[in-house]
Amino acid sequence: MRPLLTLLLLLQAFNVTLVQAKERYVDVVITDPYIEMHSGPGRGYPVIYVVGRDDTVTILFSRTDWYKVRAPRGQEGWVRRADLARTVLASGEPAPIAPYPDFSTHRWEIGAGYGVFNHENLVTAYGDFGLTDSLDVEFVVQQALGTIDNRYITTIGLRHTFLPEWKWISPTAGIGTGYQYIDNKSPPQPLERHNQMAYVSLGLRGFITRRFMWRADWRKYDVFTNQNQTEEPEEWKLGLAVFF
Amino acid sequence: METRLSSVLLAAALLSGCGWFHRGEKPSNQLVVDEPEGEPSIVEPQVNRREVKVPKIKAKDFEVGAYFGALSIQDFGTNPIYGIRAAYHVSEDIFFEGYVARSKAGTTSLEDVFPDVTVTDNAGRHFTYYDIDLGYNVLPGEIFIGRGRAFNSQLYVTVGMGDVKFADKDQFAVNFGVGERLVITDWLALHIDVRDHIFETDLTGRTKNVDNIEATLGLTTFF
Repeated sequence: MRPLLTLLLLLQAFNVTLVQAKERYVDVVITDPYIEMHSGPGRGYPVIYVVGRDDTVTILFSRTDWYKVRAPRGQEGWVRRADLARTVLASGEPAPIAPYPDFSTHRWEIGAGYGVFNHENLVTAYGDFGLTDSLDVEFVVQQALGTIDNRYITTIGLRHTFLPEWKWISPTAGIGTGYQYIDNKSPPQPLERHNQMAYVSLGLRGFITRRFMWRADWRKYDVFTNQNQTEEPEEWKLGLAVFF
Repeated sequence: METRLSSVLLAAALLSGCGWFHRGEKPSNQLVVDEPEGEPSIVEPQVNRREVKVPKIKAKDFEVGAYFGALSIQDFGTNPIYGIRAAYHVSEDIFFEGYVARSKAGTTSLEDVFPDVTVTDNAGRHFTYYDIDLGYNVLPGEIFIGRGRAFNSQLYVTVGMGDVKFADKDQFAVNFGVGERLVITDWLALHIDVRDHIFETDLTGRTKNVDNIEATLGLTTFF
């Protein structure tokens, strides 16, 4: 009985916080002659309701470029970002609809792609933080899947973009350090399975649309080993990314 | 020398103490009105401007969930598969998605006919994969269930790549898929997916590309 009671009380507490959380929505006033509410978050979904000028709608949440809103009489529907961006708060200030991030001054990037590492297939994912418009810290996690071995590579480095204001294509160059772990497909395993590495890179990047971008990179690694022979693998890759 | 130094320090400490003391004495913010006698005073309204905090609009662009279904591993029969998935919706058309899933292969026909033959050991029969995919919502629409219910839906295609670990070996694999997302509520969606994982293997003697088709049912939540 007692645990049940505790559970009930907990649920009650949770419920209360949920209700309180639900009340924190943004109300905006329409300034256009009218705005259209669609049945779904996409251009093809039919218009199911129209809200006129000076009416107030409540913004519930957003999904990609669409916002789910509630009309004064309780009807709910999806409104395009561009339409909602022209609304105002009750105080007369513009609605807090953030514009698209500017490509040349964006801060964060997350992407993935395909590449070739030392003639092996490479699956790569990366995250990137811009210290300035042209200097970024880049963190990469990737796996090279070859016929002989399988490598897990992680690197951290700095990358400089030469002309960040060039939208469609701009060159980049970088340096960094990393770590690789080698797993041979059939025994014996290599003498050194863990290696530290350093790399230099050259690349290109460009804007595609909205918050989408592409990048292409070439890297030359230097693998630090205790063996007599040196290893200097090369890597090519092409990726798609989202910026914020 | 030492006493001099300590006296200097003491003086400094005292002085800083004084400074500290003074800090407490804020200039009084009581309104002092010098009223000329006989004239009525103008009342200054003392209304504090209220700071209105606009709540943040929540973005529900992420989708996380799990799926379950059947995976047909070429030469190894059809077996249950279960996995987890996470997606980020970039625009109404495009999304990035990642999957991790696991299944266990059965026996090949060869092993069934000749019980002494083993292609891979028991541990090697685990089929594990991860994928990074790019998805495109090709056919958005609505699905009607009965008379009074309509659910938004999207038919999407995905293409991607990843790693398939089978027979204790990691292989590079590409995948193609088609799926249907049925949005039940603002935060819940049902998925029906068919996906083919293609990779090169020499497990059954000669090197060849194998198709491993899965059909799954999934449930995801948006946040």
